[in-house]
Amino acid sequence: MEARNIDVKSEISCQHLYKSFPGMDGNVTEVLKDVNLSVAKNEFLVILGPGQCGKTTLLNIMAGLDSSDSGEILLNDVPVSGPNPNLGLVFQRMALMPWKTVMGNVSMGLKFRGVSKKEREEKARYFINLVGLSGFEKSYPYQLSGGMKQRVGIARAYCSDPEVLLMDEPFGALDAQTRYMMEEEILRIWEKAKRTVVFVTNNIEEAIYLGDRIVLLSRCPATVKAVYPIDLARPRQFTDSRFLEVRQKIADNTDLAL
Amino acid sequence: MNAKASPAEIFSRFLPLTSLLLIIIVWQFAATGGYFGKSLPSPVAVVNQFVDMLAEPVGKTILGGHIWASMRRVLTAFAVAVLIGIPMGLLMGWNKKAEAIIKPIFEIFRPIPPIAWIPLAILWFGIEETPKVFICFIGAFIPAVMNAYTGIRFTDPLLLDAARSQGANLRQLFKEVAVPSALPAIFAGLQNGLSLCWMCVLAAEMVGAEEGVGYLILRGMDMSNPAMIITGMLIIGAVGALIAVGLRYVERWVCPWKREISM
Ligand SMILES: Nc1ncnc2c1ncn2[C@@H]1O[C@H](COP(=O)(O)OP(=O)(O)O)[C@@H](O)[C@H]1O
Ligand SMILES: [Mg+2]
Repeated sequence: MEARNIDVKSEISCQHLYKSFPGMDGNVTEVLKDVNLSVAKNEFLVILGPGQCGKTTLLNIMAGLDSSDSGEILLNDVPVSGPNPNLGLVFQRMALMPWKTVMGNVSMGLKFRGVSKKEREEKARYFINLVGLSGFEKSYPYQLSGGMKQRVGIARAYCSDPEVLLMDEPFGALDAQTRYMMEEEILRIWEKAKRTVVFVTNNIEEAIYLGDRIVLLSRCPATVKAVYPIDLARPRQFTDSRFLEVRQKIADNTDLAL
Repeated sequence: MNAKASPAEIFSRFLPLTSLLLIIIVWQFAATGGYFGKSLPSPVAVVNQFVDMLAEPVGKTILGGHIWASMRRVLTAFAVAVLIGIPMGLLMGWNKKAEAIIKPIFEIFRPIPPIAWIPLAILWFGIEETPKVFICFIGAFIPAVMNAYTGIRFTDPLLLDAARSQGANLRQLFKEVAVPSALPAIFAGLQNGLSLCWMCVLAAEMVGAEEGVGYLILRGMDMSNPAMIITGMLIIGAVGALIAVGLRYVERWVCPWKREISM
């Protein structure tokens, strides 16, 4: 793979983000501390950080669901001030509507925007097919396994046709086997429907397996510790010596057994 | 179900039936043995009484008429309680101002048992239908409001976020997320309200009525006819259970996504 020059056209970027939460004891917890990053168009960027370091907080701010104390998110040079159809979010805890079928969940964004039933179902069907869930359109979330639920979450994020997909530890709740399968799947889906992806994980192998680039976050308060371009050809092998090399290099820079 | 059930399994499966049978037998012996004088009719006498009342009027109407009279009061009150109570609860759960205004008033009235309203209801509305329906209304209204309210309040913020990130506006958040997520709680409230309603109608009818199941029981007491009282009591139980089952079916139909949990 040719190296990308990420500065040529950054699609979404975080500029000096700060965020803190008021704690129960009256103190404030600083969660984000001067977070800067920029993501190129159609890049698969992985944000790697330890648990509780502020990854979800960062992604929620990028998605416009929460606001930062200072700093800003630029999406194509325009500040993000709230939820935006060009920003699709896949949640760590799936967040599917239990009362909606797979079809209903995937097409909900289009429904909110007043797209006709026929049109939105057609589009939803395309993405349901893309994530490999054809035939499950009428199923409710409770009838699906964890991996299938997260496929619905991915299809839902795709279906609003965002330019940027934000994925918050989407495979964190899955068993190891399903997780490996979903890692392959997400690359297959991404190759087929290229978008800018910001993928959050606390798993170093997952990060190296997926990312064009890895942004390593420090412990709380999160700040960017290092950025690693990963120029290994896909599909990557976990046991490949260069894979392990990169893993060692990143692991050496973390104060945790990632 | 496995094909070969051991004798112990067969025995335990018939256990409920056996215990029912036992109680009827004990009842029969107790009644015919004369330990209670005339105040305990035998099961057979109760069945006879029931069959009699199917055709023979007690007071103004036959058994079916009495059941219908009570049902009519309950259903009227229930319908009004649902139509006012659920929107009120939803509003209270969704809108902080509405909550601040309505909730305190509600907290005062909530702990008062509906039956405590009977004397006032009679003073206000006389002794006809209105006070009875009013008492039943109170019974159903409180759980209708409270459950709609808590149902909305306990909407998972994560789901609201998910809908917001999908572009939902406030109205859509309410309609597409908050209300559906409150439905199971609302149904629990209706279940509760309906059984309270059914209890209230009996109490109201016992205070003064010319028809209804409560009237039947009171009439049985006046006429020293315990078989009539017991028939009335069993009917109350049976109708109450039927209503509950019926509502559960409605819930399964409205909330198909909960099918794996209910029943
Ligand atoms: N709404 C909130 N109020 C208070 N503290 C919060 C809130 N959201 C997150 N935090 C705190 O911020 C820190 C980072 O949380 P989070 O972003 O969820 O971490 P991660 O996703 O990396 O595990 C945690 O210590 C958490 O307790
Ligand atoms: Mg998180």
